[in-house]
Amino acid sequence: MKRVASLLMLFLFAISLTGCANRATAKVDPTADLKSMKTMHVVKIPNETAEIDRLIADDLRRRGYTVTTGTEKPTSVDAVVTYVDKWMWDITMYLLELTITIREPKTDFPLATGNSLHGSLTRKSPPEMVEEVMGNIFKEVK
Amino acid sequence: MKFRHILAIACSALIVVGLSGCASSANKDAMVASDVQIAKKHDRSVSVRTGGGAETTAMDSSNIADADLKAAIEESIVKTKVFKSVIQGKDADYDLAVSIVGLEKPVFGLTFTVNMEATWVLIKQSDKSVVMKKHIKSSSTATFGDAAAAVTRLRLAVEGAAKRNIEQGLQELSALSL
Repeated sequence: MKRVASLLMLFLFAISLTGCANRATAKVDPTADLKSMKTMHVVKIPNETAEIDRLIADDLRRRGYTVTTGTEKPTSVDAVVTYVDKWMWDITMYLLELTITIREPKTDFPLATGNSLHGSLTRKSPPEMVEEVMGNIFKEVK
Repeated sequence: MKFRHILAIACSALIVVGLSGCASSANKDAMVASDVQIAKKHDRSVSVRTGGGAETTAMDSSNIADADLKAAIEESIVKTKVFKSVIQGKDADYDLAVSIVGLEKPVFGLTFTVNMEATWVLIKQSDKSVVMKKHIKSSSTATFGDAAAAVTRLRLAVEGAAKRNIEQGLQELSALSL
């Protein structure tokens, strides 16, 4: 029984060390004028099944932009939006880290970027992660 | 205590160490550019600003701290002589702002490939005009042969990606006509 308890304590210690990492940052290029933009295109990662692209597009629509999604990268919009999602398993799969970047469509230059990381114990659902990252980006918009 | 008990606790301790890791920040010296093809050396001074980096905590994997990236870029400039001098503050002829936009790191694997993207913006201080505006992507791979410990392997890959990014950035700067 003592052995089980000590193993359990070590396991909980491990979880406590790895499970509560948090980070949320955002940066907007001073020359970027996101407020004057009207159209954006979210570049979907091929075969990505969590529909992060749809969540980002919905968030942008709520902010008043006209948004399309797809795997292509059009140059006829005011900005293209790319993302990187990193998933982890801890009892269930969860979104560990999400980075969203708003880019100049012709040059691909990053105009704004946001990143959130939540470990297992402070995990957020994909819609909450998208909302947090987008919220932090637009908080930085002057 | 029986041998089995000791073994079980030792294994648990290893799991703890493996899970929690001992992540260390990317080393400044390992990010200094060494192999740069310099087209032109500019007889001007420059100041360096960095952003987008993050400190490495015990609960995180290797990151690049802004201060370390700044120091690595400054040392690379001095070493390669792309600019005549590096000045702290606002009195330099040019202001170089480097910001990390993305640092993609794997979670598992024997071979770790890290992808980095950073924006490099050079501003002429006299009229605040943007002389160069580039985004530079770089990557680096560290294998099991480079380091058996995963945390070390990841740090090596992060440092390699940063070093390549600095090398490419300096090449772009040296190609300018200032």
